[in-house]
Amino acid sequence: MNKEQFLSQLKRSLSGIPEQEKKEILYDYEEHFRSGLENGQEEEEIARSLGNPRVLGKSYRIESLLDKERGGNRASNIIRAVLASLSLGFLNVIITVPLFSGLFAGLVSLWAGAVSLALSGVAVIAGLILQPLFPASIGLGGVSIPFLIFAGIGTGALGLLSVIGMWKLSQLFFRMTAKYVQFNVRIIKKQEVKS
Amino acid sequence: MNVQFKKGVLELCVLVVLCRRDYYGYELVHTISENIDIAEGTIYPLLRRLTKEEYFTTYLRESEEGPSRKYYQITEKGQTYKEQLLSEWNHFVSSVHNLIREEESA
Repeated sequence: MNKEQFLSQLKRSLSGIPEQEKKEILYDYEEHFRSGLENGQEEEEIARSLGNPRVLGKSYRIESLLDKERGGNRASNIIRAVLASLSLGFLNVIITVPLFSGLFAGLVSLWAGAVSLALSGVAVIAGLILQPLFPASIGLGGVSIPFLIFAGIGTGALGLLSVIGMWKLSQLFFRMTAKYVQFNVRIIKKQEVKS
Repeated sequence: MNVQFKKGVLELCVLVVLCRRDYYGYELVHTISENIDIAEGTIYPLLRRLTKEEYFTTYLRESEEGPSRKYYQITEKGQTYKEQLLSEWNHFVSSVHNLIREEESA
C-alpha cells in the first residue's frame, strides 16, 4: 500500500466525523509520511508500520462518538433545559401555584382554629382562677364551676391535640412541597444531561 | 501482549517521552516504536485524545527541510496526569514482582 492508498482508505473509514476534524486527522498522517520520506523510508514501509487504516479510522470514530456522549452539543442542551423549565413553568402557573396557595391558605386557617381552641381552653381555666379576684368583671353566666373546669380542660386538651395534629400536617405539607421542587429540578437537570 | 493493556501503557509512554522535550509526530512515534512493538498509527489517535483533554498543546514550527511540523508540548495538567499514571504503574509493577517472587520461593 502506498501513501495515496493509505490516506484514501483512512479518509473513507472516517465517515461521520465532522469535515474539519477529518482534515486535522488526515494532516497528521500526511505529515508522518512526509517526515518518513525525508528520513529515507519508502511509502510502503511507512504505511506498513502505521498499521491498518481501517482500524485506525474506527478508533477515531469511536472517540468521536464518545465525545458526543460527553455532551459536545452544549448549546442545544441549554435550549432544551430552558424549554423544559418553561413547560414546567406553565404547569406550575396553571395548576401547582393555585393548588399550593389553596392548600397553604387552608393550612393557615386550620392553624388558627387549633390555636384558638387551645387558647379558649386556657382562657376558661384562667377565668375561673381569676374570678374570685375580679367578681365584677368576670361573670360565670350561671353555669356551675365543676362544669366550667371540665369544659376548660376538655377544650384546652382538644386544642393541644389539634396543634400537634397541625404540626404533623404542616411537616407533611412542606415535605411534599420540597419533593415537588426537587422533582422540578430533576427534570430540568435531566434535560441538561441528555445530549 | 494484550492490546488494551498495551494501549494503556502507550499512554504513559507518550506522556513520559513528552516530559523530556517537545516532539513532532513522526519523531515521537519513532522514539516509542523503537522500544515497543505496536502499529505506529495508533499513537496519533492517542495524541489527539490527550490533546483534546488538554494534556498537550500543539504548535507548528518550520523544519530545516521546509514544510512545517506539528509539535506536541505537555501542559501542567498533563504532567500531573503523568505523575498519577506513573505511580499507578509503579505500584502495579511492584505488585506483580512480589507475586512472582512469592510463587518462586514457594
